[in-house]
This record gives sequence, C-alpha cells and structure tokens, in this order.
Amino acid sequence: MTALALALVIPWMAGIVLVALDGRRRLVGWLAIAALGLHLGALVALAIDVVPGRAVRFVTGGWPADVGIVMRADTLGIAFAMISAVMLLAAAVQAVLEGVGERTFPGLVLLLATGLSGLFLTGDVFNFYVFFEIAMTAAYVLTTYGGGRRELGAALVFAAVNLLGSSVFLLAIAGVYRVTGTLAMETISLRMASVEPNAAILIAVGFFIAFGVKLGLFPFHFWLPTVYTGARPAAAAILSGALANIGAYGLLRFGAELLPNESALGATTLILIGGASIVYGGVLAVSRRDVAETLAYSSIGQVGYVLLALGVGGPVGLAAAVLYALVNSLNKTMLFLAVGVRGGLIGAVFAVGALSVAGMPPAVGFLGKLALVHTAIVARSPALVVLLVAGSALSFVYMFQIYQHEFWRGPRPGHRSPWPLQVLPAILALLVLTAGLWPEPLLAVSRDAAAVLSRGGQR
Amino acid sequence: MNFVFALTAAVLFGAGAYLLLKHDLVRVVVGVSLISQSAILALIASGLTRGQAPIYPLRDAPISDPIVQSLALTALVIGLAVTALLLVVVDRVSHAFHTITQDDVAASEAARDAALERAGAGAEVLGE
Repeated sequence: MTALALALVIPWMAGIVLVALDGRRRLVGWLAIAALGLHLGALVALAIDVVPGRAVRFVTGGWPADVGIVMRADTLGIAFAMISAVMLLAAAVQAVLEGVGERTFPGLVLLLATGLSGLFLTGDVFNFYVFFEIAMTAAYVLTTYGGGRRELGAALVFAAVNLLGSSVFLLAIAGVYRVTGTLAMETISLRMASVEPNAAILIAVGFFIAFGVKLGLFPFHFWLPTVYTGARPAAAAILSGALANIGAYGLLRFGAELLPNESALGATTLILIGGASIVYGGVLAVSRRDVAETLAYSSIGQVGYVLLALGVGGPVGLAAAVLYALVNSLNKTMLFLAVGVRGGLIGAVFAVGALSVAGMPPAVGFLGKLALVHTAIVARSPALVVLLVAGSALSFVYMFQIYQHEFWRGPRPGHRSPWPLQVLPAILALLVLTAGLWPEPLLAVSRDAAAVLSRGGQR
Repeated sequence: MNFVFALTAAVLFGAGAYLLLKHDLVRVVVGVSLISQSAILALIASGLTRGQAPIYPLRDAPISDPIVQSLALTALVIGLAVTALLLVVVDRVSHAFHTITQDDVAASEAARDAALERAGAGAEVLGE
C-alpha cells in the first residue's frame, strides 16, 4: 500500500513543482528524470508484492469499500504501469540530452506519469476517468512540444478528437452507474451479467469507441498519422509508447473483465476491425517514404493485432493481447526515439526494430507474433493464420524499406549525433534482444495478467 | 423525467457534433464543450432519485443519491480546464497560421505532404 501511494504521490508532487520551474534548465530536467526513476522504483517495489499473485488493494480515506474509492494493483495493471514508466523515462532522458525546448516539458512528463500509473492502478471506473483526463491533458500540451505550426495543428486535432472520445467514455460510465448502481470495477463485473442485454451492449459499444479512438484503431484512426508525424520524436515516442497503452489496457480491462459477455458477443466484429486495422496500417505504411509517417501507419496496424487477440479471447488470446501490447510499446518508443538521431549505432537500432516489428527471432517481437499465431491455431481458424502471416509480411516490407532508404543509400543528411543520444535507443534495443532471448519473465507476466482478466469473467 | 433528461442530452450532443464539424475553430471548441455538457447531464440523470439530503445522521426517509452530484462536479471542473486549454491552443494556432478556420490549417498540412511526396520521388530518381 505504501508503494502504491508513493508511486502516485512522487510524480504528482514533483510534477506540480517542476511545472512551475523553467524546464529548459538542465538541473530541472535531471530532477524530473530523478523523480521518474523514483516513481519506477516505487512501481518495482509494488510489483515485487503483486506479481506472485497477491493483488494489493486498499480503499482511500479508510472508507468502507462501496463508499470510498478503491485503489488496487494486480499483475495486469502493474505490467502496463511499469512499461509506461520505463518508456516515459527513456523519452525524458532523450529530451534532456537533446536540450529541452519548452519550460513545462519535464513537469508535464511527470504529470503524465501520474495520470498513467493512476489509471492502471485504480479499481474505480470514475477514478479511471479522472486519471485518464490528467494523462490526456498533459499529453495535449506535450503534443505542442516544439511550438511550430505543425505541432500546433497536430495538438488541435489530437485534443478535439480525444475530447470527443472522453465524452463518449463519460456517457458509458453514466450508463454503467445507471444499470449497476456502483463504480467499483469488481462489483460491476459481478453485476454486469444480470443486466438487460440491450443496455449492456450499448455500454460496451461506448467503451469500445472511447478506447478505439485513443488507440487509433482502423475506423477511428484518422487523427493518428497527423499527430505522430507532426509531433517531435520525443513527444511521438511518449504518445505511441506510453499513452497508447491506455487504449490497450482499457480494452482489456473493460472488455475482458467488466463486459466479458458483450465482448464474446462482439468477437467477430472485434476480429474484423482488428484485421482491417492490420491490413490498412500495413498497406499505407508500405506506401510511405517518411520514417515517422511509416511508423505512424505501422502503429495503426500493430494495435490491430491486440484487438484481434482480444476478439479471440480465452486465456491464450488474452495473454497474447497483453504480451503484444507490451512488446509494441517497447518497439515504438525505441523506433521513434531513433528517428531524429544520426550515427552508427542507430543503424543497428533500426535493424533490431525492423526485426522486432516484423516478428523475427532474436527480437522480442517474435514472441508477440508467436503468441498470436498460437491464438489463431487454438481458435482453429486458418483465415486468422493467413491474416497474421500477411500482416507480418507487410510489416517486414515496410520496416526493411525504411532501412534500405535510410541506411543503404549513402550517408543520411545531418550531422552525427553525440554518443549519449545514440546509446539511449541502443539500450532499448538491447532490452528488446534480451527479452527476446530470455522470454520467460515476460511470458509469465502476460499469462498472469490474462488470468486476472479471465477470473473477472468467470465470477 | 428520464425522457426530458435523455432528450436534452441528445439535443446537446447533436448540436455539439454539428458544431464540431464546422470550419471555424472557435465553433469546434464550443461543440466539444457542448458534448461534454451532454455527458455530464447523462451522468446526473443516471442516479436521479428524489429524497432528503444525505447528511448524517440519516433519517428513515429515502435520500437522494449524492454520488452523481459529486461525479458531475468533478466532470464539470475537468471540462472547464480542458475547454480553457483548447481555447489556448486555438489562440496559438490563430497566431501561427493567421487564421482560425480548420480548412486553412489542413491546406497547409496538405501542401507540406505534397512537398514531401515530391522530395521523395526526386530521391527515388536520384537513387536509381
């Protein structure tokens, strides 16, 4: 419980103080990084308690469970919280090494960390909404990082579209409160089974639209390429590596735990939308030449896999969805951080990234693809296997197309970046390779996280 | 009573969605805030009960649900803050682009894309 409280209070307080200071000064940047490190430390301490299967749970203010707000940390929440914290830390270090250009940047990254870990560790749907808005508001401002015309245009599109998504989410929460009379996730998952089907389906559709917009799934993706290519690499890494986790986590938590019957009912729709995302993202990514743009369309395709695994469901499907979401977050942060950097190590980073996105053996992306193919085989669906292989082939083409364009065609424009900037993406690349060669911890975590979800469904 | 709330929320959402599709960015902001008002109205309506104020010690009479009130207050505060932020972004966009219509912002994006496309095609020819 102390670790859980610390994980929220440290970045919150540090964020409030640092937003008021001039973030362009080195010291403030390093203070923010130190606070992010402490935040990660608190999460690790919490994970040591949680991962053996004991969920940490307490009610704020010492109220009885149905009155106060429930905070809880289980394997699913802590896994997403930790990967987001690591990605934010990497993006912040990169921004500070490059030299922060905006006063508020370090403070906002901390506030984003607060919002993210809060929503991953809460057990109350309205509290989820509040932390979600904290994270989103910080992200709207972070998108303007750089302050040029493109960044501003991107921020405007991002904020307007996502506020619409937030309102739809709030409407769905109103619906949940109306039909179940509670906001605690555990009680909702108990009572949802006896709710009138029409109302439950409407609520499920509301949540799906809200998280689909956040994640940039196929029919809701229209804002994503503008934003990811408009924002600076550090900001794009934060958006795609940390913020997009909200969508994946939300779909898993709300879809698989709170509304399992409705998810099963809509399984075909989920798989179709996931498949459409994979094909659309892959084909458009192949047609692009700009690295950031290719990665943006690739993000649309990659989240399609998560949705597909969620649609198949069951312990295998959910574990694959969790694993793929974590792996994708790592891949995308590494690649976006490498976009603006020049030098010898970056070529290696891109090669590792290309292997990982395409799902080739030494990289961790292979595990994700393997889990997905396993899911498709368990579901006894040859069509899904074909789709997965076709999607992987597309990602292979666009990733190596980037590699060829950027690295095999003589020197890239621009000067060689200083060593620390090259080393940072290289560390993430090492992480990708290590997790690929020693996959047991990641596999165990995703299996446990899926077990949390299916327990919720069976009750 | 439910019907009145549902109708009002629906009209607010519809009006907001209509404004969201306008070219004028200030109207877009008004549209976003109307839609969030519609969500807040739905939130209040979701726990609509008549009764005493829920102040301790409770009497036997039925009490009105305090949770939706606090939810609506929280959502209102968040909505206000986010609307203010959105207006600031629109203000900065209007300084940067010297316009407050979405069309012009999109047109300058498209011009950039076209330039990039040409540059890419040029590199292609050079490469071969």
